[in-house]
Amino acid sequence: MGGLFSSIFSSLFGQKERRILILGLDGAGKTTILYKLQVGEIVTTIPTIGFNVETLTYKNLKFQVWDLGGQTSIRPYWRCYYSNTDAIIYVVDSMDRERMSVSKQELVGMLEEDELKKAILVVFANKQDIEGALTETEVAKELGLACIKDRKWQIFKTSAVKSIGLDTAMDWLVNAIQSQ
Amino acid sequence: MYSLLSGLWKYTFQKDEFCILILGLDNAGKTTFLEQTKTKFNKNNKGINLNKITATVGLNIGKIDISGSRLMFWDLGGQEELQSLWDKYYAESHGIIYLIDSADKGRLEESKKAYDKMLSSEHLSTVPLLILANKQDIPDCLTVLDVKQVFHDESASVETRDCMIRSASALTGQGVNEGIEWMVKSVQRNPYRPPREKAIT
Repeated sequence: MGGLFSSIFSSLFGQKERRILILGLDGAGKTTILYKLQVGEIVTTIPTIGFNVETLTYKNLKFQVWDLGGQTSIRPYWRCYYSNTDAIIYVVDSMDRERMSVSKQELVGMLEEDELKKAILVVFANKQDIEGALTETEVAKELGLACIKDRKWQIFKTSAVKSIGLDTAMDWLVNAIQSQ
Repeated sequence: MYSLLSGLWKYTFQKDEFCILILGLDNAGKTTFLEQTKTKFNKNNKGINLNKITATVGLNIGKIDISGSRLMFWDLGGQEELQSLWDKYYAESHGIIYLIDSADKGRLEESKKAYDKMLSSEHLSTVPLLILANKQDIPDCLTVLDVKQVFHDESASVETRDCMIRSASALTGQGVNEGIEWMVKSVQRNPYRPPREKAIT
């Protein structure tokens, strides 16, 4: 009986926790973004070997955010975390022109996974505080985002350290997830 | 026997799928139009608050089932820089809906330029085209006749395609049903671009 009430209660007032993955090459700024979103501060980060996971509440929506390490050797393990993902935040270092094609490859490979078929894609063209960074349209072209035809996607220019664009991007994401 | 049954099954439940591209300058109302369409044609669509829609820098998608077909919508960002992404979608599109902000007279010429550039693509030479003079809910906006005067001189390219200019208000929903119904008829009868695949519903 108690279980019945609690399940009714939670269906009325409870919230499903949404699951978001933050992915991208090493050094793109994933961990900085995660902690900027969670504590609002810039934390000094070291390369993530493994993952960071935090729960954060944004506009009444509860997120479980997984930040997975981006180094070549760890990327194959991303797939272990794909199931039940509502959205992917793909972080790109907009200054790293040389590795745009690698970043594209990883993205394309990831989007082919069945488990991510329904996930919304948000790309953060990060490090926009640095002069000479690629614009969001340039990043979109480099990543070949226009080849995506069956998924909602959006790209934002962000700077985690200067907190540019993160709020706009998260607002959009919350809206997109709620209307999913 | 199996193939008979599966054939029958497919015949009953599969739908022709058509891809419709929604284009126009930024702030023309493309995303609002898409959301309004989804709300009107999908019974269980939760719908997002139309006032919360922000600029699209990417792609929104939507699917509706109508008249025995499935329409798949691609709503692309309209900012000048992003217009360079439009042509990646042309080859697979079965129809174009081009929205014009009728309340923004100052950008009508700019819109016409983007429109001309779009139509110059050979991939689009045979696909049906619906031009919507949007935002008719705003007082003193351009009428559909005003818009026609600027956008009508494509008569040369219109011979090979269905083309229509209508008034609409994506925000209030006026003209949305009529526009979509026109579009679905046009893509269904267009012999030059058959449906992309059968979608099982």
